[in-house]
Amino acid sequence: MSALVEADHLQKTFALGFFRKKVRAVEDVSFTVEQNEIFGFLGPNGAGKTTTLKMLMGLIFPSSGQARIFGKPINDRQAKRRLGFLPENPYFYDYLSGGELLDLMGRLFGLDRAARRKRAAMLLDRVGLGRAGDRALRKYSKGMLQRLGIAQALINDPELVVLDEPMSGLDPIGRKEIRDLIVDLKAEGKTVLFSTHILSDVELICDRVAMLVGGRMRDVGPLSKLLSPRLLHTEVVLEKDGASELLRVPPEADVDALLSEALAAGKHVVSVTPRRESLEDLFVREVDAADVGGGAERMKRDRTERKS
Amino acid sequence: MSRIVALALNTFREAIRNKVLYLLALFGVGLIVLSVPFSQGALHEQMRVTRDVGLAGIELFGVLIAVFVGVNLVYKEVDRKTVFALIPKPIHRYEFILGKFVGMLMTLAVMFAIMSALMAAVLSVQTEATNAPSNSAAIVRAIALLFCEVTVVTAIAVLFSSFSTPILSGAFTLGMAVVGHFTPELRELTARIGTVPSRIAIAGAMRLFPDLNLFYVSGAMVGGQRVTVHGSFVDWGYVGTAALYGAAYSGCALALAMIIFSRRDFV
Repeated sequence: MSALVEADHLQKTFALGFFRKKVRAVEDVSFTVEQNEIFGFLGPNGAGKTTTLKMLMGLIFPSSGQARIFGKPINDRQAKRRLGFLPENPYFYDYLSGGELLDLMGRLFGLDRAARRKRAAMLLDRVGLGRAGDRALRKYSKGMLQRLGIAQALINDPELVVLDEPMSGLDPIGRKEIRDLIVDLKAEGKTVLFSTHILSDVELICDRVAMLVGGRMRDVGPLSKLLSPRLLHTEVVLEKDGASELLRVPPEADVDALLSEALAAGKHVVSVTPRRESLEDLFVREVDAADVGGGAERMKRDRTERKS
Repeated sequence: MSRIVALALNTFREAIRNKVLYLLALFGVGLIVLSVPFSQGALHEQMRVTRDVGLAGIELFGVLIAVFVGVNLVYKEVDRKTVFALIPKPIHRYEFILGKFVGMLMTLAVMFAIMSALMAAVLSVQTEATNAPSNSAAIVRAIALLFCEVTVVTAIAVLFSSFSTPILSGAFTLGMAVVGHFTPELRELTARIGTVPSRIAIAGAMRLFPDLNLFYVSGAMVGGQRVTVHGSFVDWGYVGTAALYGAAYSGCALALAMIIFSRRDFV
């Protein structure tokens, strides 16, 4: 079985403004998505994730390069039949109800009335909108629209589900529900490609990731291969007289000796945590290497502030 | 075909849930009803006024609805990003344009039916009182011609809506509709000015504008005879020929809209 999605040296240049200034949004992006995997498309804001996904969905035409879905060119109708897509910050017809929107989408896939009703009711329940199906979309919150967007992406029971920032606008409970849904989709034999800049979501559920920075592909592969297995440092937390102390022990230092000294000095050892490279470290490293718009500096600052 | 129907029904549903449309239709209905008390003279004169004002009202509000709703048809889908969820579905982009156009025609057909029914009701009351001929067959043909006219205007609105903003599209569409009503006069005028090459160029450019005079013929000279909905009016053969012209013009405008839409990036 060949890859479900094949992006081959995709490039997109936009001509902006009155003087048609050329801006390259995506440059030489190549990757594949294999069957029944969860593929995370990762990158900071403005990295070109949405532009790449729009090229795959036939919303934007590549300036050069090509892509195939199910082995067929983009915009092939047979391929589209097997595909579900959630746009970023989805907007739908606000004069329709949730049920009516799903009915419309079902019609576009040629589903008969009975199938449309059954799928719509099932999907509304699945995304937690079972009681809001008759409500006009203008009365939906952002999170509800996001859930409905996922429901409409699944109306045709697709083999490949492409989700652009599916966790955007959701509260922590909603994010967990969508993560669980993505994992369930994989268990059902589907393939999921989703974009995000929320690293924890990627770490928890993705089989493989692609990292896009400044419109260029930096890394593609399983997280286990992308992340360096080497020890960065060991975090030791000690406590004495109610005051705690955090030590970062470099990899070459003798942690055992340090712990012995601490115990001899009457301190309690609260925790010893070896720190290997995390996805966040990798992400910062890649953004740093690309040095896009001060993104690396910003991320480092954010991390320092969070830790302090 | 089912996808075009689905998109058309959705466009129709959007239109009938749009309050502005009701307001426009209400103005049209009001115009027909108000033509009765404002018309003076004998009853058969009042019938003439009802026919004239009624048909003018149907044309005016039909064109206004076609312009103001039509120029938003495609633009709004792109601007509000609703198109992002539709294009990845198994539809061709040209089906999207056709669906919007057909949905708009369905809306206009309902508006025409409402206004025509009202005019027919007023005329039937007046006919009973006077025993004068109602000329209903001529009125049906006149309404069919007006529907052809709004079809052409809708196609132009969709064309501009496929690449321009509603304000510009509205101005362009209204401009073409106005010029389209004066094509014979403009042709006559341009035939008398400038040099031969410039006349040929202007005559060619004039062909780009729709000849909307074909569609509202009451009071005009057709085939050397004056035709009017109050007496001798054009036959169905004329209506068929005019409809063919309208279909051809609309087809060209829509084909252009489809080409433009099929090449657009939805950023």
